[in-house]
Amino acid sequence: MSGSRAARLSVLKGQIAALEAGTRTLSPVLPFGDPRIDGCFPHGGLPLGRWHEVAGEGLETETAACAAGFTALMVGALARKGEVVWVLRRDDLHAPGLSNLGFPVDRLIQVCVRDEAEALAALEDALGSVGVVAAVGEVEAPDLRAGRRLQLACERRGATGFIIRRKPFGGPPRGRAEPSGSASATRWRIGAAPTQPTPWGLGPPRWRVALERCRGGRPGEWLLQQREDEDGAHPFAVVPELADHHLAPEERRRA
Amino acid sequence: MAVALGLFAGQKAADAAALVPELDSADYDPSGDAAALEALCDWCVRFSPAVAVDGADGLFLDITGVSHLWRGEAHMAADLIARLAANAISARAAVADTAGAAWALARFGDKRVAVVPAGGQAEALRSLPIAALRLDAAAAAQLPRLGLTRIGKIMDQPRAALARRFGMGLMLRLDQALGGLEEALAFRRPPTPWFERLAFAEPISALEDLERVTDDILAAMAERLNARGQGARRFILTFHRLDGRAHSLSAGLSRPGRTPAPIARLLKPKLGEIDPGFGIEVATLCAEDVELLAERQVRLGDDAEALAQEGVAALVDRLTARLGEGRVFRTLPVQSHVPERAVRRGEALADLTEGWDPDKPRPVRLFRQPEPIEAMALLPDNPPSRFRWRGRMHTVTRAEGPERIGDEWWRRPLDQVSSDRVRDYYRVEDAEGARFWIFRSGLYGGETQPRWWLHGLFA
Repeated sequence: MSGSRAARLSVLKGQIAALEAGTRTLSPVLPFGDPRIDGCFPHGGLPLGRWHEVAGEGLETETAACAAGFTALMVGALARKGEVVWVLRRDDLHAPGLSNLGFPVDRLIQVCVRDEAEALAALEDALGSVGVVAAVGEVEAPDLRAGRRLQLACERRGATGFIIRRKPFGGPPRGRAEPSGSASATRWRIGAAPTQPTPWGLGPPRWRVALERCRGGRPGEWLLQQREDEDGAHPFAVVPELADHHLAPEERRRA
Repeated sequence: MAVALGLFAGQKAADAAALVPELDSADYDPSGDAAALEALCDWCVRFSPAVAVDGADGLFLDITGVSHLWRGEAHMAADLIARLAANAISARAAVADTAGAAWALARFGDKRVAVVPAGGQAEALRSLPIAALRLDAAAAAQLPRLGLTRIGKIMDQPRAALARRFGMGLMLRLDQALGGLEEALAFRRPPTPWFERLAFAEPISALEDLERVTDDILAAMAERLNARGQGARRFILTFHRLDGRAHSLSAGLSRPGRTPAPIARLLKPKLGEIDPGFGIEVATLCAEDVELLAERQVRLGDDAEALAQEGVAALVDRLTARLGEGRVFRTLPVQSHVPERAVRRGEALADLTEGWDPDKPRPVRLFRQPEPIEAMALLPDNPPSRFRWRGRMHTVTRAEGPERIGDEWWRRPLDQVSSDRVRDYYRVEDAEGARFWIFRSGLYGGETQPRWWLHGLFA
């Protein structure tokens, strides 16, 4: 009796494994080109065909400028394969600024929506479309249901979604303040970091980047800077913390 | 009837009231009359896409090629008059080869509905008074004095003498009425061959019926477009109600198309907005921006890319239909130094042929209106050392600039040009690393005290 039960169990397990292999094939990834970051991900890079959550702190929760810059650099590497749709509630994304970061603005379609529900619906529609390689949405707080719907939309064509969490200016916080999107593959927190000065002014943009949650991987925290001399395949360079420490005292003196 | 009672146009209201005490009078309202005539003009589109307003009291309909839908011109004109009468509008109609002859017969003919056979306008006009020729006041007053009271008499006179005596205006009107000269009418809508019309034996109002009509009329249009290898970028579907109101829906495509199903998908969600009232009796469909379909597909490389382009175009159409015009766009460059003018919203699938100057730093977020900041600068020409924005103090650790952006003085009147509009932009970083784009408008020592503004945020 127990023998046949075990046999049936193993058959069922085999069927489940076959089903999972069918739906979840080894997913393509976007490597960062640095083992310190890529090691945190289950397959050695940012998983594609999923959606990711990018948030900021303090003032950034309203302006989301660093989050937009960071996302643009990640998406820019993908944009060579198709269009990128950027869904906004506030029309303040400035294409020349994205162009300065090396983002291919000729592949950018901006969509201006009126409220959160429209933003999520537009995002979902974009992610499920042929020819769209990535979609970025600036929304306040997607709930679990919205997150699942986004995930299904991503799986339809293998497009990658990015949610930039952003509060409306001056408005009261809506819903739970804590990030809720447990359906997202990764969750990032981006903060500004002082740049390395150059003789003519500010250096390339630098961010304090925390990978707060990574499905099947582990979290991490780095100081990243835009890599300038590259063809754009790996847009980020890790700044060693030591260099940062070296920088900090000097900064205090100047301030 | 009015004439029988002794009333005429131009009569004093008091005199008229004395003749007919129960007379209903209304104030003279030329703009109201004009608006009503324009509404009537729009309503007439159900008969022909080419309708022109004529003066204060007339409409021209170009019914070339559409009268067969009513089984002939006479039926069509009678139908028009009957429908107007049902709406308490008394009107007269005439059908003729020329706009001038139709005008004359509608106003001075003896029948309420007159149809002049092709080429018969000379005969039909012969007995009409010369006022039917749309003459200027001087000629209209002169001609009867010479005994030329009927159009037939003018037609019998030698042309050269008439032209000498009354100028070319008379000859022009005569030729226009008789067909010797073409007359250009200012149609309210340019006549388009891409026009479809469905009339219903019984008025419809159910949503399912409207949906079926949408499918049918799109299919009819698609068949015609297909035969010519063309597609359109905009489809305007209009439902005409029994009471004369019309309600239009439109669907725009980012690339020309004619396949009914996707266009119907864009239109159908909007059908719910339509209030059918007592029923809808006519639906019309107009296709705009018609162009050849084939030429755009020549450039496409392989099938995968073509498929991707189709997919993106369909997405753009869906989002535009749902969110509204101008909400789905691609930012295109404009040749201007002023940052907020350097961008414009273009079509979502437009090609970007040129970019922006990569050497000029531009923020990722640019505010539509620069926000005022309280800034403290050590020296007048220096960037500020600290500033307050949205209630928070920021200490500037590093600054880059200035980038001086002059006013586009040629855009404003000469007396408003001054150095106060010069902006000096600085890229500054605060102690936490946040990067701002701030500018000082005006110069120290200028007419007004310079002010500091925050215009954008860098990543």
